Amino acid sequence: MNNDVSTTLVVEDIHKSFGPVEVLKGISLIAREHDVISILGASGSGKSTFLRCINLLEMPTSGRIHLHGDHIEIVKDRHGNSRPKDQRQVEHMRTKLGMVFQQFNLWTHMTVLENVMEGPVTVLKQPKAEARERAEAMLARVGLSERKNFYPSGLSGGQQQRVAIARALCMEPDVMLFDEPTSALDPELVGEVLQVMRKLAEEGRTMIVVTHEMGFARDVSTEVVFLHKGQIEEQGPPEAMFKEQKSDRFRQFLSKVR
Amino acid sequence: MAFTDVLVNFWPRLLHGLGLTLLLTGVSAVLAAAISLPLAVFRTNASAKAQLPLRVYISFMRGTPLLGQLFLIYYGSGQFRPALQEVGLWTFFRDPFNCAILAFTLNSVAYQIEILRGGLMGVPAGQIEAAKAVGMNRLQAYRRIILPHTYRIAQPALGNEIILLMKGSAVASVITIFDLMGETKTIFAKTFDFSIYLWAAVIYLVLTAVFVRAWRYLEKLLNPHLAGHAPAGALHPVMGMR
Repeated sequence: MNNDVSTTLVVEDIHKSFGPVEVLKGISLIAREHDVISILGASGSGKSTFLRCINLLEMPTSGRIHLHGDHIEIVKDRHGNSRPKDQRQVEHMRTKLGMVFQQFNLWTHMTVLENVMEGPVTVLKQPKAEARERAEAMLARVGLSERKNFYPSGLSGGQQQRVAIARALCMEPDVMLFDEPTSALDPELVGEVLQVMRKLAEEGRTMIVVTHEMGFARDVSTEVVFLHKGQIEEQGPPEAMFKEQKSDRFRQFLSKVR
Repeated sequence: MAFTDVLVNFWPRLLHGLGLTLLLTGVSAVLAAAISLPLAVFRTNASAKAQLPLRVYISFMRGTPLLGQLFLIYYGSGQFRPALQEVGLWTFFRDPFNCAILAFTLNSVAYQIEILRGGLMGVPAGQIEAAKAVGMNRLQAYRRIILPHTYRIAQPALGNEIILLMKGSAVASVITIFDLMGETKTIFAKTFDFSIYLWAAVIYLVLTAVFVRAWRYLEKLLNPHLAGHAPAGALHPVMGMR
């Protein structure tokens, strides 16, 4: 394990198989504080699966994850299925990893404000009044104060995704994980979400972003990772990677998406 | 003899019967709701082998007539009187009202498990993933996210089950319980006025209609997030699928 003080998240040697198909073939990643890592890759390269393995929404077949004090180890149960050694530790780690989904996944039966307060109140056991105050401040930051009493079904996709970001931020996570946060949005709504994400990056949030937004990857991230068939094909600072590609596959990928 | 004579003469007895029907239905429905929830969660999570006994139970309860189940409990328990006396349960089984409650509850549990199972499986995966992602444990996720969705999905079907149970409770009258049907039968035996059966039918009908209204109102209360988004007079997509 890396003992660098500024190291926030270390993901080691993640393997993941769905039945006989191995979709992740040993991926490691280190996120230092204030890193913004963009993960790129073609459809089926395993980028979303990898992100979901970091907070164990997808159970890796093997691998280790370290986040500050939490060390998640994957063990095999007696049926040969992978499971975390300590489920409590997984739950604790998830409170420190803010997740933003492609489909927003706001809780439809709760208002915007209730969505944002839910984690702090139910999981972190914060007093309601305090959580409400912080939730309202967070909604103001993503520009949705006046929508706090709406239900998610009354919001546009872009607004829902901004609420989802506020919901994740309210947990005060060490790292924010974004799983294609703009892919389900109408083109004219992509900008408002990217703008919020840009702001977070400028504030020094540690972020891992699976994205198809090349502009974001190039301009905002501190590191770019290109996945191909479940492995890291190329990795480096965005300036270098977008200027000159070492691997043919990454060059081909860029020529298709640009 | 006027059509309403029998009603004028016997309404207190009908009212008493109505009360007993409501009591039978209400108590059984609530008990069944409480019992079926953990079993439904078990039914959706446990391995096929572990839940085999439960599936056999559900098949039996759904595959045999309620009247038969009632007889099995009321008359069947008489066969085991000495054994039941020994464990102190005879006083329970001696009372037909208890037997009816037990039969209706056991029957409704089977149906409600399957209704709730449908609700549990209908909770969108993304809702549950979001709960996990903020670090909720199983209990928190069920309490805050999964069950609120489950009951919203299952609510119309649960109302249907309660209506069926209410009407089914008329079979209690054959084991000497004076519910609405039981009272009706005795009034008919005294008066030979057939119109009492029509009055009983009207009461069952009104009871159902009132319940349906109340249940719809509850559905609205539970789903404020669905209110007011479709333009007035707009058809639900399903209604256009002909």
